[in-house]
Parts: sequence; C-alpha cells; structure tokens
Amino acid sequence: MKALLPFHINKVGAGFPSPATDYVEDDIDLNAHLIKNIPSTFLIRVQGKSMNSVGIHNDDLLVVDRSLNPKNFSTVIVNINEELVVKTFIKEKNQSFLTSESKEIKDKINLRANPEVLIWGVVTYVIHAL
Amino acid sequence: MLYNKNKIALVDCNSFYVSCERLFNPSIIQKPVIVLSSNDGCVISRSTEAKALGIKMGEPYFKIKKIVKENDVKTFSTNFALYGDLSRRVMKTLRQFSPQMEIYSIDEAFLDLSSIRNEDLLEHGYKIRKTILKWTGIPTSIGIATTKTLSKAANWIAKKEKSGVINLINSNHIDEFLSKIKINDVWGVGRQLTKFYIKNGINTAYDLKNKHNGWIKKNTSVFGSRTAMELKGISCVSLEPHQQKRKNCCVSRSFGRKVTKLEELNEAITTHCLNAAEKIRLDNQTVKKITVFIKTSPFQKDNYYYSNSKDIDLPIRTNDSIELVKQALIALKDIYKKNLRYQKTGIIFSGLKETDIYNKNLFSTINHEEKRIKLMQAIDHTNIKYGRNALSIAQAGLKKKWNAKRHFSSKVDTACFNFLPTVRVS
Repeated sequence: MKALLPFHINKVGAGFPSPATDYVEDDIDLNAHLIKNIPSTFLIRVQGKSMNSVGIHNDDLLVVDRSLNPKNFSTVIVNINEELVVKTFIKEKNQSFLTSESKEIKDKINLRANPEVLIWGVVTYVIHAL
Repeated sequence: MLYNKNKIALVDCNSFYVSCERLFNPSIIQKPVIVLSSNDGCVISRSTEAKALGIKMGEPYFKIKKIVKENDVKTFSTNFALYGDLSRRVMKTLRQFSPQMEIYSIDEAFLDLSSIRNEDLLEHGYKIRKTILKWTGIPTSIGIATTKTLSKAANWIAKKEKSGVINLINSNHIDEFLSKIKINDVWGVGRQLTKFYIKNGINTAYDLKNKHNGWIKKNTSVFGSRTAMELKGISCVSLEPHQQKRKNCCVSRSFGRKVTKLEELNEAITTHCLNAAEKIRLDNQTVKKITVFIKTSPFQKDNYYYSNSKDIDLPIRTNDSIELVKQALIALKDIYKKNLRYQKTGIIFSGLKETDIYNKNLFSTINHEEKRIKLMQAIDHTNIKYGRNALSIAQAGLKKKWNAKRHFSSKVDTACFNFLPTVRVS
C-alpha cells in the first residue's frame, strides 16, 4: 500500500542550477495524508449503489479507521445481521442511532436497544475513480 | 541473572487465524470455526465453539468431517496473506505500549513493562487488550509476571478467564495457578521431558517449581533447569528485541496431488527458489549452499518410500535467482527417479551471510554481474509493486497444477489491492 506521486527536480547540470532546489520536498505520500493511524486503518471496497447521493459509489474505496469513535453524522461500517454494511451515525439527546442514506430504507436503529449491532470502524475518506 | 526486577507481559492472540477470518466475515462470529493447514490436512486453529465440540488441535480433517457436517462447523483453508497483515498490525499497535518488545511468533509477543508501577500493571494489561481489540479486531490474552516462563503460565490461565488478563507479580495466588497447569503445558517442557517428570512425580508447574535445584541440575539439561528457575521467579531467558538474521532459508510444500513428471518438479523447485531468493535479497544476504529434497508419501501402500536430497556448494556466493534456480535444477535431476509419485519437494539455502553485493563495482563499467543485480532489483521492485509473481521465470510454470489445495480459502487480503474486503451500502 504505497502511493507516491513523483515530484521531479532538475538534475544538477553544468548550467544555471535550478532555483527550486532550496524548496525540494519529498514525494507526496498519500498514505501519510489519508492514513493517520496505520495499524488500525483498512481499505475496504464498496458494493452497491444506494449511497450514490452522498458520494459513495459502487467499487469505491473506503479508508476506514477502527481506532476512532464516531461523531454525529459520521459514516461508519457496522456489523449488522451477520454482515458488514455502511451506515450513518447520528446522535440525538444522549442516544445514538444508525440510519441509511438509501432512499428505500427508512429504518433508524437505536444502538442502545440493539446491543448486537456493533460499530466496526469510522470511514475517513472515500476514494472514487472518475 | 536478574532477580525479580523484570515485569514481562506475554500477549497472545486468541484463536488467531479464526479471529482473522471473523474480522471481515461477521456471519461466523459465535459459531464453530476451524482453519486447516496446507492441503486442507489438519486443524491448526479452532474457535472456542469448535473446541467445545471436541475438535482437537492438529487433528486430521478427514477424521472430523462428520462432526463438521453435523454441527455446520465453518471451515477455512489458510490465508497467510491476511494473517500476516493482521499480525503486523497487532505488533505495531503493541509497540506503543513498550519500548522493548520481542515478537515471538505470528500471534505472540513479549513486552517489557518494567516502567509500569506494580499497582498499575493489571489496568495496563486491560488497556493493551482493549486497544488491540478496537484497532485490529483481534482478541488477546495477557499474562504478566517476572519471567518469560511465568508470563507464559499466566497467559495460559488468562486464556481461560473472561477478563483475559492475569498478573502474577506480587500475587498471592501464584502457587494456586501453577498447580492448575499440567507439566506438559509448561513453556519449554517437551514430550520427552514430560515423560521423565511424570515418572518422577512432577505433574504440574507447581511440582516443578518446588523441586530441589540440585535434583533438577543433576537430572535435566541446562534448558530443564532454566525452566525450573524461571518458574521460581528467577529470570534466565531474557527478552530479545532484535530479531536475529536467518542463517538458512527453507521453502517446501506438499503437492495438491501426487506429482510424477520431472517437468512439474522443476516448476515447483523453481517456484520455491524464486520465493526464497526474494526473501534473502530483502535482507541483503547471499547463499553458500543449496539443498534440494524430494520425497514420496510414507503412508502410500504398494509404493516404496523414496526420500533423497542433494547439496550443491556454490563456488561464489550469490542471491541471483537465475543462478540459484540453475543449480537447484541440476541437483534435482540428480536425485529424481522416474515413475514415483512424489508428495513433497523443497529447497534449503544455507550459509546465509549479509553481503555488500549491491555496493561492489560502484565505479566500474556495467559488467555481467552488475546487470544481473540490476535485473534482480527490477524483478523485486516490480513484484513488490504489482504483487507476487508479477514477474517470474517461465520455468516456474504458469498454471502450477501441483499447487497445494486450498478449497476453503477466504481470499481476502487487507494488504493487496485486488483482494480487499468488501462492504455493502444500505
């Protein structure tokens, strides 16, 4: 899992040295920017189209950090009915709920009332190919 | 020897391979699950539920097929790519809890906790366990004690406790715990020593702890006395944070089916050589001697058992795949016999040494040797970038029909772009 974007700098030649050499930085490392906590972050591929409206498409990659606790409106991966699915986490008056971004599904799962539903991780980025 | 100042934690992942399989497959949580060894041969990891059905560690799959069927035991072939990645994640997470750590196996590590106050040890243990579970999804058990052997013993107890953490430092229950541990479950006590101890009335860890030093020294080896001293709380085996570089490298596999043709054996040997050569190049090592071995199954009726090996001493050390394959195939041809049904083949690279092969000839013009080094670097870089076997030698075969059977593999790999786990949106 290494994604490096090259950052080219002129070779030292006989002519006038590149004025940019004082500003040389390393290649941009997307890992360093997209992954805050390496051991707890997983890349997971999306299956399904029902979250297109919020920018999550079929075959997209989700960057999921298990070490984070969800905040209001976090996109989360949950373990529900023996399956891993993407939901939205909502906090209302000391109570936590999971909702679906899909227009067909209207349910609102109360986490306290459904202790078997577990939060697997918090989605931090969506990587979508255009 | 250090007396009683050490605080060592042994962190051990619970049913590690099963836990890895469960991470992306919630449908097998709280159900009996087993993982089978190469060629789907024997049970090498069991969930608690599978243990409860009486499935034993190391049991051959064909013997438990009935239990598996009747109880719908979820069965998996090994997926070492996944287990390896999750192991790295567990170890990385552990590292933040201690500056000194020894990775003992794929699912165990010793941590030096001497900087933690005694009264905080248990709480610290809970914190480690909770963090590993949250970050990686892998449940662990933790044993804390003054020596490695005692921390192993504490871990053995912790595995059976719901809290998952046992601290034996300043505990009044050490003897009580040790008397629950059978002598064959003590770290470092093998099968022969177990027989000998039982014959002499030593049945538990507690019995060994209380045996007179003189008797142990007289009757067992250095290793035997070490174990006994460690149980008494005297540290004899220190933490080894730096992994020793390997001195030899063996790659061998059983075939998925019996193999007779030399061409197929050539493919397998070539594949194993490439695999091992890549590993040693990563460590900048070179090979002095190659051993090639082949064998038929010892359990086959009406066929006679054949097992042979051949060493080749290389005139010049190398880690060049092409050269290594060439030599290995010469050795194989020498020991190959026609019309036999081979079960297993492998290679051993030995006399490994770190070599500055990459720095040699820095200022010379490109010669043959340097070209080869560059070629190997190119192959390694390509394979790291595009996955194992993206670039290989044609001799290794493409279809590899002889490959081990892995009928029940989960095929998820958290470190490979093409096999990432999936989630459904809803």
